Parts: sequence; C-alpha cells; structure tokens
Amino acid sequence: MVYALIGVGALGCAIAAVTTKRLLNSAIWLALTSALVALEMYLLGGPFIAVIELSVGAGLVTVLFVFAINLTGEESTPNAHPVLKGLALVCLLACLALVAYWVLPPTLVSPSNPDTQPLATIFWEGRRLDTWLQALLIFTGALTVLGLLRSTPQETDQKEENPDGLP
Amino acid sequence: MVNGWLLLPIGVPWLGCLAVWLVGDRKPRLQHTLAVIFSVLAGATGLALIPWSSQRATLLLPLGGVFDDFRLATDGLSVFLTVVATVIGSLAVIFSVDYMHGEHSLGRYYAFVLFFIGSMSGLVLTTSLLWMFVFWELTALCSYALIAFHNDDPKAVRGGVKALIMTQLGGLGLLFGALWLYAYTGSYDINQFLGNPNVVPPAVLSWMAFGFLIAAAAKSAQFPFQTWLPDAMEAPTPVSALIHAATMVNAGVYLLARFYPAFEAVPGWRLAVMIVGMLSALLAALMALVAFDLKRVLAYSTVSQLGFMVYAVGAGGVFASQFHLMSHSVFKALLFLGAGAVIHGLGTRDMRQMGGLRQSMPFTHAVFMLGALALAGIPILNGFWSKELILEAGLGHGNPAWIAWLMILSTGLTAAYTVRMVSLVFYGNGSKHHHEAHDAGMAMRTALLPLAAGTLSTWLLLGPFYTALKSSLPYHTLELGTVWEEVVKVAGSPEWGMTLGVGMEILREPSTYLVLCVVIVGLVAWLGRSRLASLIATFKGVEKAAQASFGFEAINEAVVQAVQKTGEALRVTQTGYLAWNVFAILLGWLVVLILTMLGRAS
Amino acid sequence: MDYLDGVIVLLVVLGLVGIGIYAIMVSRNLIKIIIGMQVMVKGVLLAFVLAGRVSGNMGLGQSLALTVIVVDTIVAVVALALAVRVRRRFGTLDPRALTTLRR
Repeated sequence: MVYALIGVGALGCAIAAVTTKRLLNSAIWLALTSALVALEMYLLGGPFIAVIELSVGAGLVTVLFVFAINLTGEESTPNAHPVLKGLALVCLLACLALVAYWVLPPTLVSPSNPDTQPLATIFWEGRRLDTWLQALLIFTGALTVLGLLRSTPQETDQKEENPDGLP
Repeated sequence: MVNGWLLLPIGVPWLGCLAVWLVGDRKPRLQHTLAVIFSVLAGATGLALIPWSSQRATLLLPLGGVFDDFRLATDGLSVFLTVVATVIGSLAVIFSVDYMHGEHSLGRYYAFVLFFIGSMSGLVLTTSLLWMFVFWELTALCSYALIAFHNDDPKAVRGGVKALIMTQLGGLGLLFGALWLYAYTGSYDINQFLGNPNVVPPAVLSWMAFGFLIAAAAKSAQFPFQTWLPDAMEAPTPVSALIHAATMVNAGVYLLARFYPAFEAVPGWRLAVMIVGMLSALLAALMALVAFDLKRVLAYSTVSQLGFMVYAVGAGGVFASQFHLMSHSVFKALLFLGAGAVIHGLGTRDMRQMGGLRQSMPFTHAVFMLGALALAGIPILNGFWSKELILEAGLGHGNPAWIAWLMILSTGLTAAYTVRMVSLVFYGNGSKHHHEAHDAGMAMRTALLPLAAGTLSTWLLLGPFYTALKSSLPYHTLELGTVWEEVVKVAGSPEWGMTLGVGMEILREPSTYLVLCVVIVGLVAWLGRSRLASLIATFKGVEKAAQASFGFEAINEAVVQAVQKTGEALRVTQTGYLAWNVFAILLGWLVVLILTMLGRAS
Repeated sequence: MDYLDGVIVLLVVLGLVGIGIYAIMVSRNLIKIIIGMQVMVKGVLLAFVLAGRVSGNMGLGQSLALTVIVVDTIVAVVALALAVRVRRRFGTLDPRALTTLRR
C-alpha cells in the first residue's frame, strides 16, 4: 500500500512539473518527484541509490535548473498543436500498454536467495573501466559547459543586431 | 602493477600532449620547447625498450570482466615499431620547430602529433585486439586532425575527411574481426588466437582474414583504397613524414604480419594479399611517374613501397616485409623531411617551378640524394637490401611467378620516377625562385642528419633484428637462406655474423643482379627519354590513365555524389521540429514492440 | 514485497516515462523539455532498482542506476548550458527557432 501511495504522489508531482506554466514551479515539482522516487527506491531496498538520488536528483539538479532559469528568464510557453497532442497521447499509450503487457506476466516478487554481493565490489572491481570512464565523462561535461557558457565575438554581434531579444 | 614502465612510450607523449595544449598559443617558444622535450623523452623510452625486444615483458591492467583487460607486451615486432614511432616522431617534432615557425594554433599541432606518437606505440604494444582497435582509431583521428590542420583551406579539410572516411572502412573490418574472435573464443587475446587459430570455424576464419585485409588495405592506402594518401598531402610536411610515410600507414602491414600465422592457411588469402600489394606497387609507381606535385610523388611512392611490403607478407616473407618497413620508414621520412625543407625554402610544391636547387640548397641536396638512392634500390643503402629480400621471398616459396615479375617491373619504375623527381628538383636550369631559396635551418638539419645516417646504416641491423624477431615470435616461421648459418660459425658472434651472411647470400643470388639490371634500365630509361620518345608515345594512354589515377578517383567521386544525392532526397523527412522527431522515435518504438509481440506469439 | 507491489512500482515506472516523453513532445520551451527528460530518467532509475530487486542482485541494479544518475546529470547540465546559449543567441527558448540546420 505504501508503494502505491508514494507512486501516486510521484506521478502527481511529475504531471504538475510538466504542466505548470511557470518554469521555477516546474523545477520545484521536479525536485519533489525526485524525492518521492528516492523514497520508493529506499523501500525497494536500495538505500545507497536513494541517498544519491535525493542529493543529486532533488538537490543538485534543482539548483542547476534554478540557475539556468535565472539566466534565461521566464518565458510563457505556447501550447503545441492539438493534432500533435492527440497523436502523441495515442501513440504513447499504445507503447506503454504493450510494454506493460509484455513485462507483467513474470512474477515480480523478490527471490528467496538474493545475491548479496556488495555495491562497492561490483562498482570498483566488476566495472572498473566504466567507473573511470564516468569520472572522465564528468570532467568532459564540465569542460563542455565552460565552453558553452563562454561568449564568443560572433555572439556579441548578434546581440547588437537584436537588442530587444535579450533579457 | 609489474612492468609499469611499459606504459611510458604511450604515457610520455600523451602527457606532453596535455602539457603543450595547456600552455596555450600565446607562448609559442615554450610550446616548441615542451614538444621537443617530451618527444625526445618518448624517443628515449622507445629506445629503452630495445633490450626487451627478444624477450617478453607483459603488463596487465585489470579492467573488470565486461571489457577486455588492458594488456601490453613486448616482442621483436612491437618494440621495433615502437622505436620507429617514437624516434621518427621526435625527429619530426624537432624538424617542426623550423618548419612550423610562426604558424598559428601550434598547440593543436603539437598536441595531435604527440597524441599520435603515444597512440601508435599503444597500437603496436597491445596484445588485445579490442584495444588495438581503439588505438587504431585514435591514430586515424590524429591523422584526420593533422591533415585538416590548415582548417581554413577547403582542400585540406576535404583531404582530412576523405582520409578519415576511407580508414574508417578499414576500421570496420578490424572491429568485425575482433568481435568475431570474441564471439568464438570469449577473449580478445591475440597470442592465444595465433597459437591456435582453429578455435574459430574455418568459414569465420576466412571472413576474419579478409576483413583484416580490408582493414590493412584501407590503413596502408593499398588498392583499392589508395586514393586517400595523395590527398592527405595537404598536411604540414613533418606530419606527412611521420604519419603518412613512417608510422601510421605501416599499421596495415603490421596487422597483416602480426596475424600471418593465423590466416596463412586460409584458401586464397595469400594470393589476395599478393595481388593487392602488386597492384598498389605497380599502379602507384606509374602515377608517381607522371605527377608534378613533389609531395604527391612521394605519396604515390609510399603507396608503392607499402605495396612491396604487403606483397612480401602475402608471399610468406614476413621478415622481409618488416625489414623493408624499417628501411622504408627511415628513408621515406628522410625524403619527406628533405622535401619539407625544399618546400619551406621555396614556398611551392610544384616540381616544374623547382630545378637547379643543388647550388642553393647543398645540404638538403646531399641528404635527399641519399634517400632517393635508397628508394631506387642502389646497393649499400638500406633500401637495396630489404627490397632484395622481398623479391627473393616472392620468387621462392612456390609463389606465382607472374606477380613476382610485375614486382620486378615496379622496381624499375621506382628507379625511373626517383630519377625524374631528383632531376626535376635539384638539377637542370634554375627557375626564378632560385636565389630566394634558403637551405635547411638548424633544427631541420638536426632532424635530417640522423635519418641520413640511418639510411646508410640500418641494414647492418639485419642480423640482430632477425634474431630478435625469431626468438620472440613463437607463432611465426621466419625463413632466411641457409648460407648464413655457416657464416655465423665463422664470424663467432651470431648476430653480426648473420648480417654478413645474409648480405653475402643476397649478393650470391642471381635475382639480385637481375633486379639491379632492371633498376639500371629504369635509371637509363629516364635519362635517355628523349631518344625513347617514340616508345614513350605508345604509352600515352597509360600516362593519361595514370594522371587520372586509373579511374579510382572517378569511382570515389561517384560514391560521394550518390551519398550526397540520397541525403538531399531524404531532406524532406527532416522538418527540423523536435516534436516530430520524438514522435518518429515513438512510432519506431511502437513498431519494434509490435514486432516483438508477434515474434513471441508465433 | 509481494506481486501487487511489483506491479504498482512497474506502473509508476511506465507512468513517469510516459509523462516525460509526452512533455518532450508537446512542450515549446527548452527548459520544459529538459524537465521532461528528467522525469523520464526518474522512471528509468526506478526501473533499474526494481529490476535489481526482482532479479535478486540489488548491488548490480544500484550500480547501474548510479551510472544513469551520473550520465543524466551531465546531460542535464550540458542541455541547460545549451538552452542558455540558445536564449542568448536567438532571444527565445522555443525549439522551433532552431531549424537553421535544415538549410
């Protein structure tokens, strides 16, 4: 029952996050979704990942969103074309129904003899290469952001051409 | 981590790459200095590996079960190619100090050169096919970036993209080979495979063999992929010397030589390798005979000489091919760097605007002549000995004689185009550029002198090189004649005695004199070409075809055109709107799901 | 955890993924699209943990989910930087302004 309550809460928050008009509110709903998902993970028996999701997903990413929204400013979002909306909904529901039909039949219960290999062993021994590659990826991401946020001379020209386009 | 020092030939240049890049383009002097220091250090680490050329030192970095472990090992072949990559790399960097003086984006240039040196060392040192593929692609990336170094020149960018795409085709061959190996043995270990190639079913083995042949042909610019190398000559000349003459293009030959024991028995493979090598050697030599761009002539000549090596592998002369690889990387690097000095001094690459340079550039003339004579196959210089070995391998072992004869014809053509090149550049009447030309600078001389000395002397290493390969490559059967064994007894020292013995054997072989005759005929034919005018006129058609690269350029163009047309036609499907793209993904997902359902239901 | 709980968590996973994709499709604001991506990835994370639970290898499930978090955070950061850049350059966050690649 607890799973259902938290799940419904997470879904509600997610819907709120994507339908709210104001971007800042959206980001906060996303943080709430993240927190509820983290709780669900904890209940499923993943305390490590729950903590990380709580701190990174609900904390760090929200801060980043707030920064980005500050930099870009709020902008009212026009609605998509209703035909597209309808098509999207039908197609999406069909996909999800098929996936649900496919995955549900096997027993979704935890086995009696779980494999108790600790997380650290799996991460540092079994997946050593991609652990290092992840570190590299983070580094690359940081460099990319630096490059993207540096303003170039070309852009300054652009600013002068349409000054009203800037906040 | 035992034997961690094995990482040095890879790590030192990569560290240098990072350092040069971090210094930034505002301090060009510091960049030059750092690049030279790191490349010379890398050369030193490469030379330090030589004691391990006849024994096995291995390094294993465990990386978990999913990917292969990172494995390095030394043997004769890998140490030899590491030395070539690092030492010629450091000479090319030293040469660049003069050549690239005052250029923009030095950081990018040196960083990629150093990155290349490290990747090339990794490519030859690793014993894991997966990691070999990774390094293989890294060298292709560096090659692309350096060909397109002058990225405001559309020709350079086109050349770079062409080289990248064509070598990618080869990369695919290697990747498929590696995946097949993994699928059947559960490991990427090369030596395990070489020891017992029959773990892979015969059909798959032959797919792998031909996949690797495609990989090697694309990387080494062999028939039918030879067209990328001439266009790669837009790169700065030291890069051409290092990557497109001495090291990266040899990777294909290395691949074939390394896997020869496994594929030897695949039906038709050896013949295919020989034909690929022969066609490249012959066609490229003809093209070199009619080209007017100095660097293009050298590029065609590289394709032709690589054809000799590939042919040698196919003919069963693995040692001959590797020995020619050594000679070729030394004398071709010398020729390219010499050509770089000429181009730097004159500011043009067109040989018709050169001529009479032997007075204004005496030093360059002297070293270039050495390289050219080695290329033509004149005795005592290293090119002579190795080419002899190749042709002997081709005539023996029950190989088809007609291919061997065509190879001997290519030897004559080599001599002819070499003389043509030298006489156009250094002899004859000087043109208007004559007195403006300045001879090579200090850094250029520092790089050229060791190479010239090497051209004179590397053939003396024949014996030690052979012993090292013989003792460290358990799966290869290396064959030389039998006479040397007697000489070894007389000379006492087995290694140097062998040099003497093989030398004597080469001199005793009748085919040697035959080839020398062909070479001399080639030389004389060029010098007396005015008298042979009527004979030459009958070959006008060949000349025309050679100038049009025998139609391969047209095929290339057609492929490019077709791809571009298809792209234009498919443009309609791209609205540029994100929503529709996601919708298409969703539709694709739906189709896949329905198909899976149907598959499950039936 | 009994069977019904598993079904519920799976439905939550599907719901989150669906809401995310829907948001990516119908939003006309880059930041909103990135939020949609985030919602979708939350569903995927939950799916990894659920898979770890039902296969009895919680450690592997968690470690894969951790990788997804790392990758997803980087994607979000780079995407946000791109959005900021787009806003500076084109003066709007509407992805329909970004059709210049199409000639």
